Amino acid sequence: MIERDDNELRERFAGLRREDRAAVPAFRRSLAAVRVRPNRRGLGFAVAAMLAVVALVVMLTVRTRHRSPVDIAGVRVRAPTDFLLKLPGAELLRTVPRLGRVSLNRRAL
Amino acid sequence: MSPTPETLEVELESLHPAAFGWALACSGGDRGAAEDALQTSYLKVLDGRARFDGRASFRTWFFSVVRRTAAEQKRRNALARLWPLAWLGPRADGRPDPAAALAHSEATGRLVAALAALPKRQREVLHLVFYQDLSIAEAAEVVGISLGTARTHYERGKAALKKRLDGERE
Repeated sequence: MIERDDNELRERFAGLRREDRAAVPAFRRSLAAVRVRPNRRGLGFAVAAMLAVVALVVMLTVRTRHRSPVDIAGVRVRAPTDFLLKLPGAELLRTVPRLGRVSLNRRAL
Repeated sequence: MSPTPETLEVELESLHPAAFGWALACSGGDRGAAEDALQTSYLKVLDGRARFDGRASFRTWFFSVVRRTAAEQKRRNALARLWPLAWLGPRADGRPDPAAALAHSEATGRLVAALAALPKRQREVLHLVFYQDLSIAEAAEVVGISLGTARTHYERGKAALKKRLDGERE
């Protein structure tokens, strides 16, 4: 019974195969169509590269716009000749002298 | 040793009618999609993107290339339909083409319609065994499943197909 059913299916599929084979495009035509195809792969790479460049430009633009401004008040420039401005006894001008204690830095004198 | 382009062409030519039948089955009976899938598969083989390693027979290996290519095309077409105005283009969603059933004789058209109603894996295994005369083990290799799974799809698919065909006869 099972074998008979299988044979029936095989016959049906054989009918389908016969009908399909009658309409198969010629192999040479298919091969010729393959050889004149545009290179979609190259186009894909070009589009991907372009998108990457656009993304990079957008990212850089956004980062430049949102950069925080420099706080000039907090910047302290130290020139190499700063030591010339240090005068002996300059600390007397910055501190409050205490009674009974020598505030003068003798080494600086 | 890898085969030369001339050897590959001869092999592909001898497989061409069977491969077209398989491409049709993988493209839901859409002739245009089947031709496109087959041409892309030829291109992959000839430019070396798909390499035959000799582990299976050339036919089994090439059929798996065609199957993969048809699936890639379906995905690409599904993505293309998301673009604006894509609905103006031709319908290529991988569903069985109603015009394909009309192109067949009445008996064959019934088989095509009954096959289209089966799950994809069952349809593929039945096509490979009954249409292409492959063994279940070879069909499993083409579809990329284990032998046991292929057997299950074969038995279930066969039962469902017979039921559908008998149901239509009554």
